[in-house]
Amino acid sequence: MTVEEATRYVLRQARARGVAVEVLGERGRELTARVWRGRLDHATHAHQGGLGVRVVMNQRVGYAYSEELSPGVLDWMLQEAIDNAALQSEASGFLPEGGALGAHDLIGSALDGALGAKVHTALGLEATIREDRRTKEVPFAAYCEREREVHLASTHGRAGSYRRGVVGMVGSVVMEDASSHKQGYHADWATHLAEVDPGRTAVTLTERTGRLLGARRLKTGRYTACFEPKPFIGLLAFFWHLWDGKYVVEGKSRLRGRLGEAIATPLVTILDDPTMPKGLATRPFDAEGEPARPVTLVDAGFLRAYLTNSETARALRVVNTGHAARGYRDVLNIAPSNFCFQPGRGVRMHRGVLVTETMGWHAGTNPVTGEFSVQALGLWVENGEVAYPIENFAVAGDFLRLLEHITAVGPTLEWVMELGGGTTPTGTLWGRTAYGVPLIEVEELSFGGW
Amino acid sequence: MLDAALAADVLSAARHGGTGFADLYVERCTRRHMRTLNGALKEATTGLEFGAGLRVFFGQEVAYAYTNDVTAKGMCELASVLTGLKGQRGRVDAVGRGGLDFRKAAPYGLHSPEREFATFPLRYRLDRLREADAGAHVAPEICQVECILQEWDQSVLVANSEGHWAEDRRVRTRLFVIAIAQEGGEVQRGTESPGRSLGLELFDQFPPRTIGRQAGEQAMTNLRAGPAPAGTFPVVMGNGFGGVIFHEAVGHLLETTAVAKKASVLTDKLGEVVASPVVTYVDDGTMPHGWGSSEFDDEGAPTQRTVLIERGVLTNYMVDRYGALLTGHRPTGSGRRQDYTFAPASRMRNTFIAPGDTPVERLFEGIEFGLYAKKLRGGQVKPGSGEFNFGVREAYVIRHGRAAEPVRGAMLVGKGPETIKRIAAVAGDMWTEPGMCGSISGNLPVEVGQPHILVSELVVGGEAA
Repeated sequence: MTVEEATRYVLRQARARGVAVEVLGERGRELTARVWRGRLDHATHAHQGGLGVRVVMNQRVGYAYSEELSPGVLDWMLQEAIDNAALQSEASGFLPEGGALGAHDLIGSALDGALGAKVHTALGLEATIREDRRTKEVPFAAYCEREREVHLASTHGRAGSYRRGVVGMVGSVVMEDASSHKQGYHADWATHLAEVDPGRTAVTLTERTGRLLGARRLKTGRYTACFEPKPFIGLLAFFWHLWDGKYVVEGKSRLRGRLGEAIATPLVTILDDPTMPKGLATRPFDAEGEPARPVTLVDAGFLRAYLTNSETARALRVVNTGHAARGYRDVLNIAPSNFCFQPGRGVRMHRGVLVTETMGWHAGTNPVTGEFSVQALGLWVENGEVAYPIENFAVAGDFLRLLEHITAVGPTLEWVMELGGGTTPTGTLWGRTAYGVPLIEVEELSFGGW
Repeated sequence: MLDAALAADVLSAARHGGTGFADLYVERCTRRHMRTLNGALKEATTGLEFGAGLRVFFGQEVAYAYTNDVTAKGMCELASVLTGLKGQRGRVDAVGRGGLDFRKAAPYGLHSPEREFATFPLRYRLDRLREADAGAHVAPEICQVECILQEWDQSVLVANSEGHWAEDRRVRTRLFVIAIAQEGGEVQRGTESPGRSLGLELFDQFPPRTIGRQAGEQAMTNLRAGPAPAGTFPVVMGNGFGGVIFHEAVGHLLETTAVAKKASVLTDKLGEVVASPVVTYVDDGTMPHGWGSSEFDDEGAPTQRTVLIERGVLTNYMVDRYGALLTGHRPTGSGRRQDYTFAPASRMRNTFIAPGDTPVERLFEGIEFGLYAKKLRGGQVKPGSGEFNFGVREAYVIRHGRAAEPVRGAMLVGKGPETIKRIAAVAGDMWTEPGMCGSISGNLPVEVGQPHILVSELVVGGEAA
């Protein structure tokens, strides 16, 4: 069966059994061409998809999914979801009402192109990285393409689909000078093939990695910190949960009960816009079929909203922002789409640490407590100028306190797409969120070094 | 899972592209996930993942394709896609159907569960999660307890163009308990997460109430803890998950994924002293019921016990088929992947430092000021520069040779090759614990382990004065 046929089959079976069901079907495509030393080293071409159901029975919710779309397995899947629902003690589940959502093609022919030409962009990426005399090795240079179709239907009338995709240049380099080695990684993503530029990706990668060669150790202390966008996004990818309605409802966010309060300096405005033209995570509706619309979460320092789905909006007694997230393998969650800071007027740090990279977020950040302590690399700034690179240190603080002590915000956003874990973007969480952040200066943070 | 004749046909079709080698991986995995919050079931889900991946080698070039369409049509399309990627149409000398008469290898059941998942009612699982929840409420300050149960039942088949056929079954169960303690505006967390290649008899080895209590006590310790100090100190690392230091500082640097492309600082170092002489480091995929154990790797090769470093000298890398092709080293049964959506790569299984002979209390002697990192969490490394980090779940300051007050929020950072030479002493209380390791072939179950060890100097990221 196709995803569409399987969806119709499950809806029929559910109606026959008097069960409310929401069916989310996905079909994805991946093309990756990785090159090494001037030849195609590893190519991946694939299709993947499946069907996930959210069943509501006597106001109890259960989930199941399958990648095998035969009638027997779909019957098993539905029964598993019903059994899982029967185990629930809470009886407050519901499916949102709704109608046709339309069929949206967000990419059309944007990713069309000859395979040879796509491989050639990866070869160009690697060749340009190797042009830098400090390059020791290029572990990988790749052209990547990801496409996903989402089909949503429910026994409560919701029905619609969309197709979206992205294309990216991804590279890693090991650089060396007389005294040190540094490894860097960089990815540039776009929604149209014409927008990828292997030369730009290569130069960004080698410039950002090469400037850290010959790094010195940083003395332990408290310094003014300025985060480049990428290392700050590393933190934001974990701390966005502070605005996650599910975290708020479950008492896991320190922003609970603080709507309307000042939580950051007036320089901070944070938005989420799933409708952004050419946005890497743009979508017409969320995983429950709620139409997409922008939402301001922090307005000049004041907390204005949480991100919600229908369940959490009802629990919090707020208007649903339409941020339900569910891959076919997942339960109902919440996720940002194009999540960004509003640009500011600029940063002029006189003395302190320009943080160019952070690592170890999954072990060093705690969205529940707001605390972080992560490994970092950077540049020491003295008299407003970069003095020398620094390494082998950790930066620590409290994310909410950090927001209260932002002293300047840069004028230009850099966008990074969340890949759903690891360096290989696969799985159902693929490309759900993109983060846009400018330079961010913080009055003072703790740095542990020698 | 797949008819041998169909597998042979697919492998034969893949070789029409002029390939030197092809292998087929088919996977069928049932997963169950259950989450409670304060004893109430929040979510329960069950899933079936079913797909196949086909890999072909054109000399030293690799092409991989995967699909959920595990039918004759879907599989032959895979082969067609791969041969099309190279734009070649070669000829294969076939003997019999597909030219293959498979030599079949079946698992001995070394890691099999005692009882099948299906023999336990759903309610049994929920009751165990509620026991863990109850155990975690060790004090009135424990305001929230989240318990998660994960079950995987994965069957895999690997067949290749050399006529090798291996089937394996990996059953894994893991329990997570996350306790949150709150007092005034202060919120802290404690976590425990035992997991084994077992069925629900995991609960016999790790009673949920005990695991819950440990998580609750850790949350209370962290609630009473001050911020960790920042700076460079001697660090005593606890046994069990403390082994993450070697996983990050050395383990990833010894995978041919990095070594073959000279993207590891430990490339071309076999036979050289790379660690302190007190260190013997082992990667063992055969440990009975180990979280990272299997009978065959994801290329169909029997898993092995591989001594990587013996008394400080580098003796082996972890080698998959592709790594062997590039480096000439013998494969070590280390080809692993998360699922059919990834081509295999050389990866760790269960890695640990062998026990030493220093009594644990001796490790603390002579340390005027340092850190006792009793329980660790995951980390990250860059193989090309050796820079690594890992987080701390539970820690204490060391004062005058003794563990003193608890501290929280530490991150330990360093450079692998330098750090492993600073392992000053190794105790004898070896223990291993499970974790998930993310890298180029996905997120994999691995165990890390060690006895207590003393690192003479490590950067601690905490609160600077």
